[in-house]
Amino acid sequence: MLQKLLISSLVLLFALPAFALDGPALLKQVDRNLNPESYEMYRKLINVEPDGKKKEFTLFSVKKGADKVAALFLAPASEKGRSTLRLGDNMWLYIPGVGKPIRITSLQSVVGGVFNNADILNLDYSTEYDVKSITDKDGGYLLHLKAKTREVAYDQLRMQVDRNRKVPIRIECLTEAGMLIKTLYFKDTKEFGGGLVRPSVVETDSPLYKGYRSIMIYAKIRKRTFKDEVFTLTHMPNIDSLR
Amino acid sequence: MKPAQPGTPDWHSRGSLRRNGGRPCLAGALLLWVLLTLAPAARAADESYSFDLSEIEKKSWHIGGYAEVRPVRYRLNPDGAFYKLRFYNRHEGDAVDEFNGRLQLEGSYEKGIARLYMRTNTDYRRSYTGETEKTSIYEGYGSLRPSASFKIDAGKKNLKWGKGYAWNPAAFLDRPKDPDDPELPMEGYIVLTADWIRSFDGPLKTVSFSPVVLPVYDHVNDEFGAADRINVAGKLYLLLYDTDIDLMVLADGSRTTRFGFDFSRNWTSNFEIHGEFAWIRDQAKTRIDAAGSAETERYDAFSGLIGLRYLTTRDTTIIAEYYHSGTGYTAEEMKGFYAFVNRGWRTYLAGGGDGILQRALLTADGTYGRLNPMRDYLYLRITQKEPFDILYFTPALTVMANLNDGGYTVSPEAVYTRITNLELRLKASFLYGGPDSEFGEKQNRWRIEFRAGYSF
Repeated sequence: MLQKLLISSLVLLFALPAFALDGPALLKQVDRNLNPESYEMYRKLINVEPDGKKKEFTLFSVKKGADKVAALFLAPASEKGRSTLRLGDNMWLYIPGVGKPIRITSLQSVVGGVFNNADILNLDYSTEYDVKSITDKDGGYLLHLKAKTREVAYDQLRMQVDRNRKVPIRIECLTEAGMLIKTLYFKDTKEFGGGLVRPSVVETDSPLYKGYRSIMIYAKIRKRTFKDEVFTLTHMPNIDSLR
Repeated sequence: MKPAQPGTPDWHSRGSLRRNGGRPCLAGALLLWVLLTLAPAARAADESYSFDLSEIEKKSWHIGGYAEVRPVRYRLNPDGAFYKLRFYNRHEGDAVDEFNGRLQLEGSYEKGIARLYMRTNTDYRRSYTGETEKTSIYEGYGSLRPSASFKIDAGKKNLKWGKGYAWNPAAFLDRPKDPDDPELPMEGYIVLTADWIRSFDGPLKTVSFSPVVLPVYDHVNDEFGAADRINVAGKLYLLLYDTDIDLMVLADGSRTTRFGFDFSRNWTSNFEIHGEFAWIRDQAKTRIDAAGSAETERYDAFSGLIGLRYLTTRDTTIIAEYYHSGTGYTAEEMKGFYAFVNRGWRTYLAGGGDGILQRALLTADGTYGRLNPMRDYLYLRITQKEPFDILYFTPALTVMANLNDGGYTVSPEAVYTRITNLELRLKASFLYGGPDSEFGEKQNRWRIEFRAGYSF
């Protein structure tokens, strides 16, 4: 009996680290720790130039399930009322008073700066990436992620994850050849309500944009469900009605 | 390389691999040392970011607007038929100047499922013909939205059908847009319309249906067509296999029956293709020959557009479209009109009065004198984001060619958006074409304009 207990304990002891280093499970947990699967939230985007000059944008965003995201610009006045929609790999931009929604791509940036559309209309990491490897490093985890399709904006990610909170601390975005495109820094962890504790600021810089930085500040992240019809071209002019 | 700046329909990517370069010198090294010494302090001061939640508080009402000034200089073309029509009794010299001002005010009020929206437009113009000012309601409608999948609108509204950038042959219920400035806001029509939306899983992701009723009476949409008619139209939208597809119809009423189809799809992540087609039943076309004999032909017309939008790794956006207008005039038909104008011109010079020119002017309105009155056009627009590392600077070049007579226009422009909410644009247009060609017979040879627009 004692022998069986000893063997079971040893098996459990070795199994625990293996569970802890289950990359796909950890990535899903990171996703859920960043935001609920369906939510609404507000963000401020700040583009900072090398001379310190700033341009700011305020957005209201909604997301449902794995692949539906929409965002509405609230400020500045020149952008107010613009909305963007993402359904899987499809993205559109609507400009009130000018025209109908037009197709855009993940590589563009409707706000300029270092953040592109994929950063602004981001899906869960586990939706777009497979975990290629996971290592225990510097008191946290280092995940190597590979894009599931060629439509994803960054071919590879190197994600450094906080061991306790299971949220990203830093993400390096790489091309297929391994060239660094940008680095995202997750900062200022705070409580958003509903048990959500996550970084409230994401800052990014890029070797391609030397001296420039873009910052995204999060507020009022709240779990919320929406009808699928909210995420359609026809509904794009009406996203403000969800606030 | 600088980051992409806010853009609208033009695409810009995460950028190419260009990097800033420079040859260090002593002064530069000293400056760099000073900057590096001061940088940590400056950066540390920037590290705390504020997000005032009062900024995102939703109000039940909103008021905003847009104001612009736009001076223009036109170089006249004394050989052009349209110069002879409009300047036969004027002596304005080689060039004329024009000053344009525009003020757009918009406001909305929302309560529960109801929303009221209005946008007014005031245009002021001072030109060789004098001063004019016109204020109109571009859009003004009420909406009821009982759910996310159903909405009903009543009032003046733009419907914006079609996928084309420069032309929209299937926009049966919109005013024609100006291919020279296709993103300008336009005046809508008074309509009763609804949107019904359903979403699905699988290849067919979205279906929406938008029926429209557009009445035409005295002082109600009377520019649309024959009066005392209730026009019925509809659009069915599908997102099928990641392709946007629209099917449109306008039933016989103030205008003849017409059917439309359009599509748009991202072929790759930086390459979009689109198309738009219209079949117009019993289209009427009035022709006039050199002798002044007018005749009206009725036929079924087919118009179509095929286009692409391509984004390069160097932040260059290319938009190209081919447009065939089945309602347009052939080169021979245009020649007949120009010959009629020239006959009127000669008669006027010989002291025979301006009767022929006045008749030609009336005939030209909405026919030979409309935007792009002929059959086949090619449109090419190339936009470069921030070349030479000049931040907020976006130059573009637009070429439009008339494939029927060989004429074309070349329009370089530059946009600067450094100051939030302020857009500065300098644009020129040069017209090339021989005798009896569309652009060769225009009243101008070239024009240059400056536009300063401020959103508030």
